[in-house]
Amino acid sequence: MVKHYPGRWLLAGSLLTLLLLGLGLRVGSYATDYAFIWKTLRHYDATDPAQLALIELRLPRLLLAWLAGASLALSGYLLQNLVNNPLADPYLLGTASGASLGAIVAYIFFPALTLGGLYLPPLAALAGGLGATLLVVAIGSRRGRLQAAPLLLGGVAVGALAAAVGSLITFLAADQDSLRTVVFWAFGSFERAGWAVLPYPTGILAVSLGLLVFLQKDLNLLLLGEERAQALGLPVVRLRWLMLALVSALTGGVVALCGPVGFVGLVVPHLTRGLLGATGRLNLAFCAVLGGGFLLACDLLARLLHPPAGLPVGLVTALLGVPFFVYLLKKAVS
Amino acid sequence: MRFSLLLPGLLAGLLACQPQSKPAATPATVVVHDDLGRTLTLLAHPRRVVSLAPSLTEILYAVADTATIIARTQADDYPAAVLRKPVVNSYPLDLERLVALHPDVVFTVEGLTPLDAAERLRQLGIPVYYQKYRRVADVLRGINDVGRLLGRSAQAHRLTDSLQQQLQLLVSPIKTTGKPLAVLALASADPIYVYGQNTLFTDEIRLAGGQNAVRDTFPQPFPALTREYVLKLNPEVLLGGRFGKMDSTFFKNNPELRRTSAYQRRRVYATTPNLLQRPSPRIVEAVRELQKVLKNN
Repeated sequence: MVKHYPGRWLLAGSLLTLLLLGLGLRVGSYATDYAFIWKTLRHYDATDPAQLALIELRLPRLLLAWLAGASLALSGYLLQNLVNNPLADPYLLGTASGASLGAIVAYIFFPALTLGGLYLPPLAALAGGLGATLLVVAIGSRRGRLQAAPLLLGGVAVGALAAAVGSLITFLAADQDSLRTVVFWAFGSFERAGWAVLPYPTGILAVSLGLLVFLQKDLNLLLLGEERAQALGLPVVRLRWLMLALVSALTGGVVALCGPVGFVGLVVPHLTRGLLGATGRLNLAFCAVLGGGFLLACDLLARLLHPPAGLPVGLVTALLGVPFFVYLLKKAVS
Repeated sequence: MRFSLLLPGLLAGLLACQPQSKPAATPATVVVHDDLGRTLTLLAHPRRVVSLAPSLTEILYAVADTATIIARTQADDYPAAVLRKPVVNSYPLDLERLVALHPDVVFTVEGLTPLDAAERLRQLGIPVYYQKYRRVADVLRGINDVGRLLGRSAQAHRLTDSLQQQLQLLVSPIKTTGKPLAVLALASADPIYVYGQNTLFTDEIRLAGGQNAVRDTFPQPFPALTREYVLKLNPEVLLGGRFGKMDSTFFKNNPELRRTSAYQRRRVYATTPNLLQRPSPRIVEAVRELQKVLKNN
């Protein structure tokens, strides 16, 4: 029996996050040292442009990167448990592509981006993500039970369809400005961050984590397979709907604001289970913290490698994530 | 193996089938180098020309016999007469349509037409002539080059002399009092892409009496900038749209940029679409428009 130390890992992950936040606060066009950051945090003076940049631009950006990483990692973890398959992630099951389609519709057809005071992209992405996931579940279930192979294949097919429709809408967009917005949004970036948009991903993540604290045991039961979980008295169907809704909301909020950032939802849950075991009680919290830290690190790297605007963050996650993922796979096989 | 032996014979047979009735009067050709240093063989007097860049289409209309312009691209919109020409898609490049029109020469601008597409066209017997411009003077030289290649040097020189004269009249009255205003020109507002140091805009705004707010040189002509970078640049004039429209879009999405001098003093202006970025004979018009914007202050 391998001994895991979930508490220590969670603490280490949290410290790493704080460290990355501290480093990230220093990276930008204005030169800022820690004395300046400390001064700003204690006596914020909005008339000083460097302090303004720190509080209004850098801090929300870092928080958005963390929230995006945490949400995507959590989505991946939930999906992998739900379909009991290590391949699952928001991209493979079509959720992210559906969310992208929703966001593209919002960006192209509602250039003002608000309707009745509501910021549209996250809501449209949520609807798209949920719609695509429902379609995939419908394709992948036989008599109310999910079947792994049709589910994954359905996910790939629906994902491809959503991506194609999204590309078609983008291609036909007459308005050059919306076209550019969508094309560059698709690269992935945290430049949209601001205190005004942060409540969306924060709220979704907080609600999800809050609910999941109560559901952690049920999630672990699901790993036994749907039939056995049901035999043990688990309301499998209701739980599945709830999780699909959470995954769509988590993915939608992130995709709408940051673009389709890949690989976090696949790599981080694997790493979590590798470090804490498949059924650890702190798995969800650790997965979120690790996912957040991973995207913080990717954003930091992206901006250091290619200042000022940074490389598209989706590229960095793949460049860092893929070799690491392959290493994990090799290790698991051996 | 046997086929490869047969091949020369087949080719010889095919060649023998070529109509021999007219004595082959090979038209006069010239060997030239384009702005990228590529060597091309052109007809001495091209009668069928196409441009794959809206700016060069404008140059052709100003210099060439308009009857020799056999097509336009989907992006061409000036002068209005161009809209009557048949369309060849330039992006993605419709090679088949272009070949079917069998132009004597294709003009384009560095970066607008992929070099491999130009190479394929060359293999199909259609030379592609690239121009590139860094300064306003390069555009005038480019106009003269087109005139020379088309055997219409006189027309080209008449045009460039006039443009040169207008430029001198525009530039001379500028008094060098104080620091020139730092002007940031947006190529895209969301995400923020701007006219970098190595674009024609830098020279245009200098001639108009201002300076490009972007001082760093990036590898890309139109670099992406962060909001923080723009805040630090603190441009004194922003080109990208009327103040009211920008206030409700650009500055609403990036509220911290309301701190910039350009916003505070309401020096936020729209420019004529497709004028600033086109290295065309309207370049003097572009400088004049920029000067008008600066004079407002």
